[in-house]
Parts: sequence; structure tokens; C-alpha cells
Amino acid sequence: MDEVLQVFLTFLRLGALSFGGGMANLPEMARVLIAKGWVTQQEFADGFALGQFVPGPNMLAVVFYGLSAAGLPGVLAALFGMFLPGAVGAIWLVKGWQWMARSRWSRALRKALVPIAMGLSASMVLILVQLGVDGAAWLLGVSVAALLIHRGVPVVWVMGGGAVLGVLVGLVLA
Amino acid sequence: MIPGVRVPLFELFLAFLQVGLVAFGGGGNAQLYQALVLKRGWMGEREFLETTALVRILPGPIFANAAAHLGMRLGGLMGAVLALVGVLAPGSLLMLLLSFAYFRFGAVPGSLAESALDGVAAAAIGLILATMVRQAPVALDSLKATVLAVGVFVTYGILHWPLLLVLLVHVPVGVSLYWREAAHPWGEVEVPPHG
Repeated sequence: MDEVLQVFLTFLRLGALSFGGGMANLPEMARVLIAKGWVTQQEFADGFALGQFVPGPNMLAVVFYGLSAAGLPGVLAALFGMFLPGAVGAIWLVKGWQWMARSRWSRALRKALVPIAMGLSASMVLILVQLGVDGAAWLLGVSVAALLIHRGVPVVWVMGGGAVLGVLVGLVLA
Repeated sequence: MIPGVRVPLFELFLAFLQVGLVAFGGGGNAQLYQALVLKRGWMGEREFLETTALVRILPGPIFANAAAHLGMRLGGLMGAVLALVGVLAPGSLLMLLLSFAYFRFGAVPGSLAESALDGVAAAAIGLILATMVRQAPVALDSLKATVLAVGVFVTYGILHWPLLLVLLVHVPVGVSLYWREAAHPWGEVEVPPHG
């Protein structure tokens, strides 16, 4: 039970801080979860990759991390912790949005969050490359994937293509 | 009272569940738009865009926050809960199955499963890069924007400051840099999501 509470509080903190959407807090999440011994570096990167296969917000890798940390109760603890802060705020915004849309600081905040989110995304790419990409060949793969998606190839196809390519590379090296 | 349509809860849940089933690869907001505005006409285009822009100031995935917010508008508190469950449940269950398989059968370093995951991880990083390339011209349109983005990247990505500290430094600086522009309600730019 203690462990589950730990998981909940850890993800609540990460959830409350993940400004900039998506997995902007991924670098911090990686450091915290690995330091607590809930996942290894390899598992963290693998969990993130698995998360790309499922529909929904790509933050769903937290299911994997919660399971690894504290079993099934850990899954619920991680999910609640991660999604609760934003959801509560989003529900409250229904009442407050007209005031919010008019207020000057909220417009300034929204403008400021755009470049801040860019900086967070860049940090996220850096930590993912450090954790999960070994070898220059995979860096080439990252660039090709980015190019394909940029050209409008559906994301699911590119992910599937990455899996197939990974298996082929594994077969050649084996 | 909240203006707009009040939707029966069961229909609302089904609509969000359908989005939760098909929203692959971070295209969640685009799917919500399809389902709520185009297909069912539960809200106007402008209302949809304004509310999804607004939830960006909240922490957490924009897609999940947008779902909770829209659910609340369309069906009250229960609507918000059902909307959130609808978009999260399919992916969470699938993720749980995949995670069980991973820990049970193990992705041994050097195994085929492991190299398949390496390939997916590379593609996933590519997705983030592609999104950044697409947003960069709009997001980094001025010197102050570039300074903010670089400041965050250096302190967070390279120097490994805690995220809270990074935000405590950059958010107030950012708000004051944009204070002048924020005097007027026009000129807000939306970059549509992928998918």
C-alpha cells in the first residue's frame, strides 16, 4: 500500500508539472523513475515505445511504468496521478473560461507557453535519443521517420514501419 | 449556465469511446473535432477551437484535458468523467496487455522484440521531431520566443534542472515578455495537431 501511495504521489507531481502537453515532462519522469528503481533505462525507453502502439494520449506509457513499480494497483495510481490535475483544471475551466479568455495574463501565458513547449520538446528528443537510440543507424531512422511524417505519411504506418525495420535489423544481426 | 447543447450521457460516452479507439499517434484533437463538430454538430467550430486552445494552459496531455473539458460542457460533471474514461480506457487496457506481455515474456536485449521496439522508438522520436519542425516557424517567430525556447532546452535538457525550477524561471519571464502583445485579444495562432 505504501508503494502504491508513493506511485500515486510521484505521478501526481509529474502530472501537475507537465505543462506544454504530451510528454513534456518525460526527461524528469525518466530521471525520477529510474532513480527510484521502478524501471531500468532500457525498460523506460521500451515502455515509451510500446506507448506509441496504443490509441489515446501518448502519456499512456504511465500504465507500463505503474505496473512495473507496483503491479495492478500501481497502474491505477499512475493513471490517476497523471491525468487528475489537468482534468480537474479542464472541468473548472468550463466555469471560468470566459473570464479566462478575456484576462490579459491568460493570453500572455498562452503565448509564452508556445516557445516554452518547444524547449521542452527539444529536451524530450535529447533524452529519448540518449536512452533508447544506440548507433548512428537508428539516428538515421529517426530522421527518415521525421521526414515521412512531415510529408504527410500517416503516423501509424511510420510506427509500424519502424517495428518491421527493427525486426529486419534484428534478423540480420542475429 | 453553460451555453450549448446538452447531450444524453450514453451517446456522449459512445462518442468519446469511439475517439479513444481510433486516436493513434497523437491525433486526438483532430479526432475529437471530427466526432463532435463535423459528425454530430454538438458544438460550433469556433467554440471548439477556442476551448481546445484554452486547455493548453493546463498541465497534462492536451487531448485528455480537451476531452474532460468538452465532456463537462456537453454533459456536466458526469459527462466529463465519462468523456475522460472513454478516451483513456481503450488505450489503457491495450497498454496494460502489452505491458503484461513485456514483463512476462521479457524483451531480452538482442531479441527480436527488443529490436522491433528500438525501431518503434526511433519512429516515435521522429514524430516529435516532425511536430517540432512543423510548429517551429510559428512558435519561434521572434527573438524572445527563441530565447525562451533555448533557455528551457539548456536548463532542462542539458543542465538537468528539475522541471519545477525550469518552469518557475521561464514562465514568469515569458509572461512578462508577452505582456505587451497580450493587451489585444487578436493575433492568437493555432497550429493544428497531426493526424
